Amino acid sequence: VTGAPGAPDIGELLRELAPQVLGALVRRYGEFGACEDAVQEAMLEAVASWPASGVPESPKGWLVTVASRRLIDEVRGEHARRRREQDHAVASAPLEQPPGPGPDHDDSLTLLFLCCHPALSGPSQVALTLRAVGGLSTAQIAAAFLVPEATMAQRISRAKQAIAASGARFELPGPAERPERLRIVLHVLYLIFNEGYAATAGAGLTAPELSGEAIRLTRWLHRLLPQDPEITGLLALMLLTEARRAARTGPDGSLVALDQQDRGAWDHALIAEGVALISSVLPLGEVGPYQVQAAIAAVHDEAPAMAATDWPQILALYELLEQLAPGPMVSLNRAVAVAMVAGPDAGLDLLAALESDRRLAGHHRLHATKAHLLEMAGDATGAVASYREAARRTTSVPERRYLLARAARLGVREP
Amino acid sequence: VKYLLMIYGNREKWESMPPDAWPDAIARQEAFNAKYRETGELLGSYGLADAARAKLVRRQNGLPAVTDGPYLETKEYLASFWLLDCESEERAQQIAADMPFADAEPVELWPVLHESAADQ
Repeated sequence: VTGAPGAPDIGELLRELAPQVLGALVRRYGEFGACEDAVQEAMLEAVASWPASGVPESPKGWLVTVASRRLIDEVRGEHARRRREQDHAVASAPLEQPPGPGPDHDDSLTLLFLCCHPALSGPSQVALTLRAVGGLSTAQIAAAFLVPEATMAQRISRAKQAIAASGARFELPGPAERPERLRIVLHVLYLIFNEGYAATAGAGLTAPELSGEAIRLTRWLHRLLPQDPEITGLLALMLLTEARRAARTGPDGSLVALDQQDRGAWDHALIAEGVALISSVLPLGEVGPYQVQAAIAAVHDEAPAMAATDWPQILALYELLEQLAPGPMVSLNRAVAVAMVAGPDAGLDLLAALESDRRLAGHHRLHATKAHLLEMAGDATGAVASYREAARRTTSVPERRYLLARAARLGVREP
Repeated sequence: VKYLLMIYGNREKWESMPPDAWPDAIARQEAFNAKYRETGELLGSYGLADAARAKLVRRQNGLPAVTDGPYLETKEYLASFWLLDCESEERAQQIAADMPFADAEPVELWPVLHESAADQ
């Protein structure tokens, strides 16, 4: 929900309040799915009426009141009739007292855990989190993911059905399951950020709204649970990655690789914030994958030039990451770090071992990495072939253009 | 990521199917469509007209110049396509394999590289 022109902060305020209002409603009435619809309707009404009538003294109380009425209408099955009567009444109705200082924060957190319920698929968790916790409308989420609104509505409604069918209760996960549930929550926030930072498909390299939304939600989660080092690590990782956004695309929308980026265009305030966050948790010794990835991003962000990067430290961090969260992409990045520390041939040896990994065999990142290392090693012909192979396999248009330009620059004739 | 599923065919193939088998075939396809529309993964399902209706269009002197397609000579041509949006290529493969006739006829699966959405 966005604010009307001239009232730019109404949308922001509403999205801030959305999870609190929904939390209050679910606590009072149960029925997560119906409550969620009612809150969306109340937010639409606020967007329609607040710019003219002014923001109510207690915007949250107003939203809880209106959403409760919508919910009750829905339950009574008198929706259409009551709506006609109330369209005039709502604006002038005396406001109920907003709930006092209650367990708002816990409720919002409970809501986030519910939206990231393990019974849901990844895309459903993402969609539901953006709507119920992020306060985005179905149309906005559909636009961000370039799918028809009807499809996104279906995905959200199915997610709600899956939650209802799972018998999940509106309560925080117990201590035994909490670490695993929090891991899913962080992964969902990470997916939202990533979709915004490097849209998996499409002509545009980034969709800034989603990254901004992921950062907003992670900041909020960090405020609720400041003691959790992995939440802090994830927030730091997002800020340290976001800091390079402006330098990451050229004026024509093309991709600019790390070694070519104008480091003066990086956002140094974000870097300082990210570095401070990661520096505050690493000494605690409860290291996790997001903290390590943030530490790697911090080493890159603090280097004045590609050549001045502390590659031995990056290599050590990738070795640690490979132990904490092994995966083919981590191994691929470690191969790059090995090449920077010990020379391209050492990196290429590692890649040769990875080529038999089925998860990587056809992946464009494997071919792109191989191309870079072959170029470093002075094998222009091999590099061109690998750049072209990587370009054929990527699903990102800017990345394809970048890879083909890299190949063209080497000036090798087509075989 | 979005994926395109495509099936091919020709007149001969379809005419070889007994008329009373069609309602069941259509019902199975409809069930597939409904199933994945409901999961929020099927964006659209499109069946094409007979190849006799296909045209080739060029622009000549700023005007459309239309001729019949070359399709009548090709052995098989595009018959229907489905646009999916799903979590992973593995998931897209799963859905493709769930197409009612994937046991007899292969389904082509292509990742979509980029798009220009009409209603954004």
